[in-house]
Amino acid sequence: MKPTSRWIPYFLVAPALLIFSIAILGPILATFGLSLTDWDGFSTPSFVGFENFTHAFADKIYMNSYWHAGVYIAVTLVLEVAVGLLLAGLVSSKRNTTFYRVAFFTPVMLPLVVISVLWSFILNPDLGILNRLLGQLGLESWQHIWLGDQSTALISLSVISGWIFAGFYMAIFYAGFQRIPSSIIESARLDGASEWQLLRGIKIPMVKNLTEVAVLICFTGGIQVFDLVYVLTNGGPYETTQVPTTYLVRVVFRDQQMGYGSALAVILTLVVVAVGLVYNKVRTKGDAVVEY
Amino acid sequence: MKRNPVFHIAMAMYSLIYFVPLLWMAMSSLKSNEEIAMDPLSLPTTWDFSVFAEAFTAGGLDKYAINSAIVTGTCTSAVLLFGSMAAFAFTRLNFRFSKQLMALITLGLILPLQSYFIAQNALFDSLGIKDTRMALILPYTAMGLPLAIWLFRAYIQNLPKEIFEAARVDGASDLQVYKTILVPMLKPGIATVAVFTMLGAWNEFLLALVYIQNDDLKTIPTGLLSFSTRYSTNYHLLFAALTIVTIPMIILYVIFNRRVIEGLTEGAIK
Repeated sequence: MKPTSRWIPYFLVAPALLIFSIAILGPILATFGLSLTDWDGFSTPSFVGFENFTHAFADKIYMNSYWHAGVYIAVTLVLEVAVGLLLAGLVSSKRNTTFYRVAFFTPVMLPLVVISVLWSFILNPDLGILNRLLGQLGLESWQHIWLGDQSTALISLSVISGWIFAGFYMAIFYAGFQRIPSSIIESARLDGASEWQLLRGIKIPMVKNLTEVAVLICFTGGIQVFDLVYVLTNGGPYETTQVPTTYLVRVVFRDQQMGYGSALAVILTLVVVAVGLVYNKVRTKGDAVVEY
Repeated sequence: MKRNPVFHIAMAMYSLIYFVPLLWMAMSSLKSNEEIAMDPLSLPTTWDFSVFAEAFTAGGLDKYAINSAIVTGTCTSAVLLFGSMAAFAFTRLNFRFSKQLMALITLGLILPLQSYFIAQNALFDSLGIKDTRMALILPYTAMGLPLAIWLFRAYIQNLPKEIFEAARVDGASDLQVYKTILVPMLKPGIATVAVFTMLGAWNEFLLALVYIQNDDLKTIPTGLLSFSTRYSTNYHLLFAALTIVTIPMIILYVIFNRRVIEGLTEGAIK
């Protein structure tokens, strides 16, 4: 429609655009600028060209942090997206499953910091219940200092993440399954299809686009993971759980290297944007899936 | 579909993975340090709830909760108001640069927090708003707006165009249309957007950690973290604090679970 007065649309979009520009857009441009400087946060930034970037690609801790994020993403793709899909299949196969859906989704509601502190107790070698339960089941050899041991710390973090977010992906897939016309499901049931065949043959293919979204969310969320790692290990032991964000915060706020930190932030941003672009290229467009 | 006890038994067993940690947390808050360490899986021997009052007042949980409520309330109101205004203009009115401005906002959907928080920190430093609530309200509002506008736009596109045109024929100005027609019709969308904006602001940690050092202004996530350093050996008090933060969220969630799940999944599905 043509607006009733010329200035009305601008008046309507101005507050949102202003806030967005001040808090996000401006700082993004400034961060890109800062990435070309050497700056301690107080003195005048001095221009150093792409030095920070060459430094970053030679920075073993930073490069390894992507490897750690990759492991974390690989594990969480299974424990969050795949398990979420399976749970959605289970809770959509029967009536009266509200209770399970509420239960599985609960951790998504809670602040990650709260959950992280709770898990630091569960995994605590002295008073944590995990080792205690393993002991009572006669599995003493399985007991570990889960977060203090280089071989288990990263996996432990990924498993905790799975505990938190499997319910989130379940909810997405469940919502998708609910939109599949019930006539399709019912006629497949009449033809004698088992619930497992229904899930594999009909439900999963029909929410293919949701699966792609879920993988994207899991990927971009995983590469930005911060709260959980910061509270539970803060990169340790011996940098084995250092992820891009925790290292970034350390460089900026402990080492006061704003310029170098900005370069690390720019690299992370480009990785996330590249993933988004690739997703846009490869995602399924067409009519074989449920439309939303 | 027949009733299947095996299914429900298996699902109930699996639910234990979620219930045991939370129950253990609640139980431990009522136990002494010795009991927690010696016998972590037992029920408390006494049911003394004063530990919760202690965590609240002595531990300062009350002020963290108030701060979280102020920050969350303010930025959610701002996101709902400014987001619906902008979405209305982008969806129903023609104006120059409409497409470009919308594309700019859409950028905010994919850009990670890390891409701007270093310069944002420097900006807030020079504006002198670090260690004020504004340092959280401003970025949380900005972070909530892109998805809010995006979702509102989807909702408005589903409303019949004729309603807006009819109001126009009756002589209503665009601002009147927004107030008297759009906002009432947008209610389900408003609830959905409110849920995820609130959860995002309530749970945000990184910016709160960087911008707020003053303990009197900390929100629940950072407040709880400093609580846990302060009382690092007072286990039952810590468990009490975790329980206090957790239980209202679970109650609210059980009451509003349909709305909450819709709010959090809508963004992915749309």
